[in-house]
Parts: sequence; C-alpha cells; structure tokens
Amino acid sequence: MKKVITILTVLISMATSTIAQTEKASTERTTFHRTTSVSIDIKADSSIVWALLTKASDYPRWNSTVTSIEGNIAPGETIKLKSTLDAKRTFKLKIKEFVPDRRLVWGDGQGNRVYTIANNGNGMLTFTMTEKIGGLMFPMYAKMIPSFDQSFEQFASDLKKEAEKIMSTK
Amino acid sequence: MTVQYLNEEYQNIVGQLKSYLVRITASVADAEDIAQETYIKAAEKISTFRGESSLKTWVFTIASNLAKDNLRAKKRWPENVTDISRAAALSHKQFFQEAMNIRTSSPNGQFEAKEHIAFCFTCISKSLPIEQQLCIFLKEVYEFKVNEIATILDTTEAMVKYYLHTGRSKMISIFDGRCALINKEGVCHQCSELNGIYNPKQNTQEELMKIELVKEAAKGDKEHLFDLRMQVLQEIDPLTSKASALQLHHLDHNRQVMEKYLEKSNG
Repeated sequence: MKKVITILTVLISMATSTIAQTEKASTERTTFHRTTSVSIDIKADSSIVWALLTKASDYPRWNSTVTSIEGNIAPGETIKLKSTLDAKRTFKLKIKEFVPDRRLVWGDGQGNRVYTIANNGNGMLTFTMTEKIGGLMFPMYAKMIPSFDQSFEQFASDLKKEAEKIMSTK
Repeated sequence: MTVQYLNEEYQNIVGQLKSYLVRITASVADAEDIAQETYIKAAEKISTFRGESSLKTWVFTIASNLAKDNLRAKKRWPENVTDISRAAALSHKQFFQEAMNIRTSSPNGQFEAKEHIAFCFTCISKSLPIEQQLCIFLKEVYEFKVNEIATILDTTEAMVKYYLHTGRSKMISIFDGRCALINKEGVCHQCSELNGIYNPKQNTQEELMKIELVKEAAKGDKEHLFDLRMQVLQEIDPLTSKASALQLHHLDHNRQVMEKYLEKSNG
C-alpha cells in the first residue's frame, strides 16, 4: 500500500510539473492529496524575485494574498503566516529548503509549498509555485479546504508586477 | 594616479562625503573619523586606482565600506525615533536652554523648517536596513547612478534597484503616517512646534507654505512628495547650513537618546 502511495505521489508531482506552464493556476486532486500550481514569466533578475520571496516583513506591501509573516525566511527557521485564504488562521511553517535565487520550500505536517525560479537567459525568468497538501486523513477534511487557484494566480501576478516595477528603476 | 592628484580632487569631494557620512551615521564625530580614515586608505591605495570609475565613486566606496562596519556595530533606530527623542527633550531641562544659546550665539543657529525636514529624514532613515539607507542617500541625495551605487556597495545593479524601491516605499509609508506637513492625519508636528519656539514672531503656516513639499501636499502624489523631500535634502549641507549648529545639537541629542533607548530595550 505504502509503495502504491509513493508511486502515485511521484506521478502526481511529475504531472503537476508539466501542467504549470501558464499564469492560470491548476489543481490536481487524488483521494489523499491535492496539488495546486501556477507559473508566470517575469522580466526581472532572479535576485529581485528571491529578495521579494525571502523578506518576510515586506510581503503585505506587495502581496495582496498575505496579511502578515512573522519570523525570518531563512534555513531551518519557522515563520507564522496569515493569509487572505483563511484570515482567522495562523500557519506555522518551517523553512525546509533554501537555495538562493532558485528554490524555496516551506511547509507543515499537512503539506509543502515549493517556489522555484528558472532563468530563461534573456532577462526573463519563470516563477513557479506549487503546493501539495494531504495525507491519510485528507479525505475527511478535503472539502473544508478552499481552492487555492485564485490566490495562487494573484500571488504570481503580484510578484510579477512588483519585480518588474523594481527592475524598471532608473 | 598619484597622491597629489588625490589631494587636488579630494577637495571637491570631501564636502559631500562628510555630509553623506553625517547623514548615515547621525554622528559628527563618527563622520569625521570615517572621512579621515577614508583619506588615509585612499592615499595608501591611490596607485591602484585605474580610473575604471570616477574618483568620487572610488572614494565613496572606501568610505561606505568603513561606514558599514560602523553601522553594523550599532542597532538600527525605531521608526518613531522623533517621538521618543521629543519626550526625552521635554524632560531634559537643559535641552532647550542649550538650543536657545546656540540659536542666539551661533551664526549657524537659525531655525528653518526645511532644515528640520532634512534632520528628520536623517533620523528616520536609520530605521531602514543599512543597504536601503545607503542606497537612498547615494541615489536620491548625492545623485549617483545605479551602476555607480552597485560599485560603491559591492553589489549588483538589480539589488541596488531592489534596495532603492523597498527603501523608498518604506519611507513614503512612514512619512505618510507621521508627517503632518504632508498628511493632516500625521502624528508628528515637530516642524511647526519648533518653529513656534525658535521663531515666535513668524507665522508658522505662512513659512511652511513656502516649502514646495508642503505646497504640493494636497495633491496627494506620494512618490512626488518623496522626490520633493529629497530635493530639500539636496539643498542642505548638514555641516555648513544656516541651521547646522542647531540641527546638529538636536541630532546629537537624538543619537544619545537612541543609544540609551536601545541599550535599555536590549535588557
């Protein structure tokens, strides 16, 4: 059974990595998991996108989906995030991967959010964010979790707007 | 390049350099020390200067490196530095006595709201992360280009743009919430308050309306108001202006208040 779940998980993540090519978010659902993903092309240096993604206190200024983030987005740190998706809840998230200018992962027991920055070589980059949530108990509460699609699209759009505005500074 | 060349050119740079250093350290003594150390290092290294940047950029690079060491050794100030310092001044009998002595005896002891605007920016900019603070002064006040600032701060142009944008946004937001000159709801009225004390015969409102920043406030263009605030800073040399003696006295007071405040809040 465990093997089957592992294989399914790998297949789902492979599927989502090919789905996430547009500014439109997409969600894949299985019995035990849900994976939402969005990608967007940004005309900016990856260091700017990285700086925006890792400066916790600055999020509410440019990102309309985040109400606040307390703590430092740094390797091994834990942050407290409040989002517009569920205004009453504070998510305690651990920074699990931190590869400057390329990859950031945070998450909790329910799932992980992965941010990746891929340079396209012509002053453009592709930003992708993917969140996979779930587990054995997932079917019991799956219906209570709102869709992430709109929030993901807004996040990506806000990031693009802010990074390109910064890039245009003379 | 030779030391003689440095000596000739340095005279044209040193005024702006000291003004920059006072503004980022909020200390005349520290600024003088860093400027002196900058000259010594520049003289030692002048033979390695190949003219890849202007001499001014090169000298500011040395000074900024020294200043960063100085700034990193100290805590950043809170956004409400002027509130905390005002309360301390009001409970410190000698503060206004000293200030009034400067006001009446020093040729640089006049009070002008414009000078207080510049002083206020110096204090509040110390709440920004160091890189943002330095970028803003270098670009908006001392008119370095983005690529020159990248050289001075040994970073990329992209990061300079990031620091400039985020620093500007932060300062615009702070002044929008605090400065009664640009926002009727602003909590800080120190420019009017102090003008009333130092220039009791003046109509403060009339005086304030002579300042472009105040005149334009009603239009509510926050970016433009920030640019006008930067123009005020550009026009004032904090070490030689008409109000420099008075404002440097206030700056010294605020720095001492902050040192005590930050020591206390550290436990």
